[in-house]
Amino acid sequence: MTDRWRLLQHFEAEPGFNMAVDEHLLGGGQFPTLRFYTWKPDALSLGYFQRWTDVPAAEKAGVVVRRLTGGGAIHHAEELTFSFTAPVTHPLYRGPVRDSYERVHDAIAAVLLEFGVHAELRGDQVVRSDVANTGMCFHKSTDLDLVWDGGKGLGSAQRRTGGRVLHHGSIKIGRTDLEPGISTLRSHASELTPENLAKGLRARFPELLGMEMEPDELTPGELARAEARAEHFRSSSFLHRR
Amino acid sequence: MRPEDRKYTKSHEWIKIDGDTALIGITDFAVNELCSGNEGDLVYCDLPEPDRELEISETFGEIESVKSVSDLDSPLAGTVVEVNALIEEHLEILCTDPWDKGWLIRIKYTSKDLDELMDAAEYEEMVSQEQH
Repeated sequence: MTDRWRLLQHFEAEPGFNMAVDEHLLGGGQFPTLRFYTWKPDALSLGYFQRWTDVPAAEKAGVVVRRLTGGGAIHHAEELTFSFTAPVTHPLYRGPVRDSYERVHDAIAAVLLEFGVHAELRGDQVVRSDVANTGMCFHKSTDLDLVWDGGKGLGSAQRRTGGRVLHHGSIKIGRTDLEPGISTLRSHASELTPENLAKGLRARFPELLGMEMEPDELTPGELARAEARAEHFRSSSFLHRR
Repeated sequence: MRPEDRKYTKSHEWIKIDGDTALIGITDFAVNELCSGNEGDLVYCDLPEPDRELEISETFGEIESVKSVSDLDSPLAGTVVEVNALIEEHLEILCTDPWDKGWLIRIKYTSKDLDELMDAAEYEEMVSQEQH
């Protein structure tokens, strides 16, 4: 049986809207969904459990939202964000959380090779991008993170609720002032854009992850719901929940 | 074999009835899915305050591992009467002893409909299927 996925793309979308769409997709859906997006304006996203005061860069970022997923803060600039949403029983996510990261990261590493980037799971390597006390995702690596050129270049986190999973990831294309020392794709592919990277991932994921993707748009109802919910993710009460 | 003195949910919580209260925790399977045996992978657990009233299936807390945030859902309706204060500071207990020292909350239940829940043998069967 074909594993059919819904494919959504929102380039240069408003930060709160981006989080609201993923919240909606986490709540349910006829098909698992893969979504690619970028942010306008650039924004910093806090991990679900992070304290505002543990992320000094939050004071420097113009726009801040809080994610539903765990992990550290990410500066969404010069990057491509992706989200997978699926039942936890889906073959991509069934079993230990670690296994699901390996499956997704192995597929992404295979695609990055086509852009000349030799990405691999960090394993036991010591990476130069690890920096203490910034609260930034890219400055704290785990053995499951994708690294290249001696630094972390892909940050990811999951949320599991109600029998479903939301898997966020950020692939760094260029450098930003708030995340010094991390690895980027542009040092290997100087002309790379988020759109081109998404295109490359779309082209190979069906073969690598055994999925069939159906390009789709949000329905008017979904769009209205996400737009109404966007404010929540940048609201002071949610940003300062811890 | 998992303990036979309690019931289990599909979302991997356990419930142990103790008079008019019940202890709720998560199973070894749930813990292992989160941290694959690495105690250090569990980083944070948010549990409710005492006196909070819970509906069946309501989320009462959240647990964060290095790579995931997961909800903790209540299989019973009732009022939280006690929270295991040790857990928030010593998450490793969930790895070493999820069945006794690793309980999360004690609730005074208002419903005790356990028919929908699994006994140990049924839970074993479900888990073995999930692993394949």
